Amino acid sequence: MNDLTPAPQDALGLSRSVRRAEDPRLLTGGGAYVDDTAPAGALFGYVLRSPVAHARVTVAADDARGMPGVQAVLTGADLEAADIENHLPTAVAKNRDGSKAAAPRRPLLAVERVRFVGEAVAFVVADSLAEARDAAEAIEVDFDELPVKLDVAVGGATIHPDAPDNVVYDYGKGDEAATEAALAAAHRVVELTVDDNRIICASLEPRGVWAEMEGERLHVCFNGQGVWGPMGTLATTLRMDKAAIRVTNPDVGGGFGMKAMSYPEMVLVAHATRMLGRPVRWMADRSEAMLSDNAGRDLICTAKLGFDAENRLVAYRMDNVANLGAYNSGYAQHIQSELFSKVMPGVYDVQACYMTSTGVFTNTTQVDAYRGAGRPEAIYVLERAMDYAARELGVDPFDLRRRNFIAPDSFPYESAMGETYDVGDFPRVLDRAMAEADVASFAARRAESAAAGKLRGLGLCYYIESILGDPSESAEIEFTEDGRVTLYVGTQSNGQGHETVYRQFLATDLGIAPEMIDVVQGDSDRIAKGGGTGGSRSVTTQGTANKAAAAKVIEKFAPFVAGLLEVEAVDFGEGAFRAEGSNRVMTVLEAAEAARTAGETELLKTRETTTLPGRSYPNGAHICEVEIDRETGQLAVVKYTVVDDFGNLMNPMLAEGQVHGGVAQGIGQAVSEHVVYDETGQLLTASFMDYGMPRAVQMPMIAFHSEPVPSTANVLGMKGCGEAGTVGAMAAVGNAALDALWDLGLRRVDMPFTPSRVWALLQLAEGATDAA
Amino acid sequence: MYDFELVKPSTLQEAVAALKDDEAQALGGGQTLLPTMKARLAMAGKMVALSGVAEIKGICTDDAGRICIGGATTHATVAREATGFPALASLAARIGDPAVRNRGTIGGSLANNDPSACYPAGALAANAVIVTPDREIAADDYFQGMFETALDEGEIITEVKFPVPEAAAYEKFIQPASRFPLVAVFVAKFSDGVRVAVTGASSDGVFRWAEAEAALSSDFSAEAVSGLSAPDAGGMISDLHGDGAYRAHLVKVMTARAVKAAH
Ligand SMILES: Cc1cc2nc3c(=O)[nH]c(=O)nc-3n(C[C@H](O)[C@H](O)[C@H](O)COP(=O)(O)OP(=O)(O)OC[C@H]3O[C@@H](n4cnc5c(N)ncnc54)[C@H](O)[C@@H]3O)c2cc1C
Repeated sequence: MNDLTPAPQDALGLSRSVRRAEDPRLLTGGGAYVDDTAPAGALFGYVLRSPVAHARVTVAADDARGMPGVQAVLTGADLEAADIENHLPTAVAKNRDGSKAAAPRRPLLAVERVRFVGEAVAFVVADSLAEARDAAEAIEVDFDELPVKLDVAVGGATIHPDAPDNVVYDYGKGDEAATEAALAAAHRVVELTVDDNRIICASLEPRGVWAEMEGERLHVCFNGQGVWGPMGTLATTLRMDKAAIRVTNPDVGGGFGMKAMSYPEMVLVAHATRMLGRPVRWMADRSEAMLSDNAGRDLICTAKLGFDAENRLVAYRMDNVANLGAYNSGYAQHIQSELFSKVMPGVYDVQACYMTSTGVFTNTTQVDAYRGAGRPEAIYVLERAMDYAARELGVDPFDLRRRNFIAPDSFPYESAMGETYDVGDFPRVLDRAMAEADVASFAARRAESAAAGKLRGLGLCYYIESILGDPSESAEIEFTEDGRVTLYVGTQSNGQGHETVYRQFLATDLGIAPEMIDVVQGDSDRIAKGGGTGGSRSVTTQGTANKAAAAKVIEKFAPFVAGLLEVEAVDFGEGAFRAEGSNRVMTVLEAAEAARTAGETELLKTRETTTLPGRSYPNGAHICEVEIDRETGQLAVVKYTVVDDFGNLMNPMLAEGQVHGGVAQGIGQAVSEHVVYDETGQLLTASFMDYGMPRAVQMPMIAFHSEPVPSTANVLGMKGCGEAGTVGAMAAVGNAALDALWDLGLRRVDMPFTPSRVWALLQLAEGATDAA
Repeated sequence: MYDFELVKPSTLQEAVAALKDDEAQALGGGQTLLPTMKARLAMAGKMVALSGVAEIKGICTDDAGRICIGGATTHATVAREATGFPALASLAARIGDPAVRNRGTIGGSLANNDPSACYPAGALAANAVIVTPDREIAADDYFQGMFETALDEGEIITEVKFPVPEAAAYEKFIQPASRFPLVAVFVAKFSDGVRVAVTGASSDGVFRWAEAEAALSSDFSAEAVSGLSAPDAGGMISDLHGDGAYRAHLVKVMTARAVKAAH
């Protein structure tokens, strides 16, 4: 079925497709998610949300406070009166002129004004959820409505006085003068504007949080992507010492970047717990999640590509306008700007590059990182533009890519955006992809589709990704009294299968049976520091730390074991300590047992921190074929091939699974996911009745192949694979859609390719032919 | 959800009696009612569950050869057992997902008369008779606009009698998110003429497309449909999934496909 079985690097022994250890538990209801783990007797929190997009508000909560079962009702005014910060911080970006980007207050609970439908206005805590909801209905909120601003453009009704024209930031990177000069001198300039549609993350498990007092200390448990960042947010907002706070993450049902950021509810629950001295829990329902979770994408990009007479790319300028919603989410200002820039020039050898990004506020839910965070967006516009350019220049889209690839012998290669790509062999990967996708027979498949009344198109996306997040991570290996091993990690699984892969590391390096290894994550009391999960960093950073800690264990134990075996020195190999000239062997677990008996306790715990010297750059080719029903406009993805260079695969099956999920999310955005607000700022797609999640029946079989060029930026030779599928999928589908429609005279097609939107395009084409 | 009282009658007589209460409302499979109650958009003081009333469940054939389906029969049962009317069984088999089909009922669907529901198209095209404890209502008189029916307050559907057409098919073009019909067409050919019922399209709910019926009654072929112009887009539903013109166009496409598929 696929070519995953051969081990690319036997020495690591890690390349086996070990089955996920966590699946039996997670698939049979054994998972312990945030709402499963709330303390018995916890009070229920309920958030009253704004039903209007922009208004001055006054809140009167007195009636609600006297309702049955009500323990507390908090409004913005109550938070101001309490000794807490009614504001969630953001990482502020720099404008092109060196000034700081706009950072207006993002209140936990609205004060005087609401700025999007779903904004938290009051927080009710009661004995039961029904009582909390009843009380929320008794809160009187007066809305004095204001004009709304919804378009992704500068200007419009002012949302924050300190952000004139609703501009949040004005980012630029690269050499503008050189790029403009190169464009002016170019033989041909091709320009394309694409709309990168807004999506709702829709993690299987919505957001939730509970908190309790542990003596004088506050324990906050929520379903996130790491515990240390949020601990800082809690300390700042609650004005507490970090040492007085414990943060944990239980099992998490999908994060995708959306759960990496802090939200008002976490602080509200923590504050109420501390105030009442009783545990409090809160869980979003689906529509609440759709109204209040960070959205993704939502930007408009314009690309200008300059080519010389040989169709070599000599200049690339990209300008985008990005919707940030009504407030700055934690990392929002950096997504379509700095993170976008990491792979802005893609896999092409182009020296003159310049990009700008303008962030704007609108009366919509805040927007932040979503699987890929800036990199899918960068690749989407570039690969749509390259495809379009090939058509405009009258050359084959595969050839145009190939002609402009960074040559395999020019690595390490510094891109015009200052990124150093360590390794790569793009022509080889593309050759393999064309063969696997049987591009040669496409014409026959197209003819077959035509005979059935369908338009068929083929689209290529050659993507590159940049692994982000903190390059440092720690691993601690502890031998426990029950004869087992605990591995403490700084990353946070949201369902990816980290436990399985991390056990593979220790099994390989220390010869310990996987079932003897317990992986502990997400507890700030048990793990001093960690980088969490995001930016496809986890296995690369944590795996490197795991290996270092394992090596340290062997180094520390060797003299002790030599003493026990009464030899000069021991070696570690084939899963045990061995001495030359002796047939005595000792496993690591036996050695740990002996150390415990001998009172050598410092041997029992080993912690190592490693820092990656550079980022890795997964890349690959996605080739997609779509069919369009001419009568209905229905577009279906009918064939999909991926060839990835992920370097060495740690667990090929899990890597492939990440690609499947990523491609599904990319196809979802391209084909059915579509956030729609009406002209008053009401979210029309606030349930699955109207928001089109991708479904299994819509998914093609995804052929996945590995064509590795091991990374030199980490000892594992691997490249993170968590986001890559999404990065490649959108443009592959978009280009296939344009290919299907090109001969009808259509030149601009934007996601999402829902039936009615494609039908409208077909109508447009018909009109065009009629007129001609 | 607000608090309510749940009554579980086991006979039709008990159910009818319980529904006399002003506060009472029938509960079928709850696949429409429960989500609205959870969102606190609907409230009834007393819910009268019909799922325990055996006499209004199940499928049989009457002396006139009609397929008779109890009002509390689930979509799954119809999909499995309405073998005498394959197009109707196929309609039921494509409603929602297995969980919805195992709970949702034909009576609930017809009582609700959602403008995008499947059963109204089947019932109208087949010229079904809607049976309640006190009367029988012809489908032509029963559907009275979006979410409007001829039922009185508290009146429940106990049975639906479907004449079986010579040939029929249901073509459903799904709305990409909900998978309800964006537009769906039920075509039924009887010895005395063809009936074409359209759901999902009109803001007046299910309707018969008269021009198509006339054309198909004299020539039952997809070509007969292609000669027609699409119905007027004016009264069509226009929403984020498609405007009126798109829906009107789909009516024509789905009708032609239904004729092709009819057997
Ligand atoms: C995810 C999902 C997908 C769906 N997809 C589709 C689809 O593709 N096509 C489609 O047609 N439908 C679809 N539905 C709706 C489904 O068919 C419902 O089952 C149906 O609309 C209502 O039937 P019910 O028995 O669940 O009624 P309930 O929800 O219990 O009740 C609905 C209304 O009917 C009344 N009622 C119930 N039974 C009777 C009766 N015997 N007599 C009189 N009044 C009664 C109730 O008082 C209430 O007003 C879907 C529903 C869901 C949740």
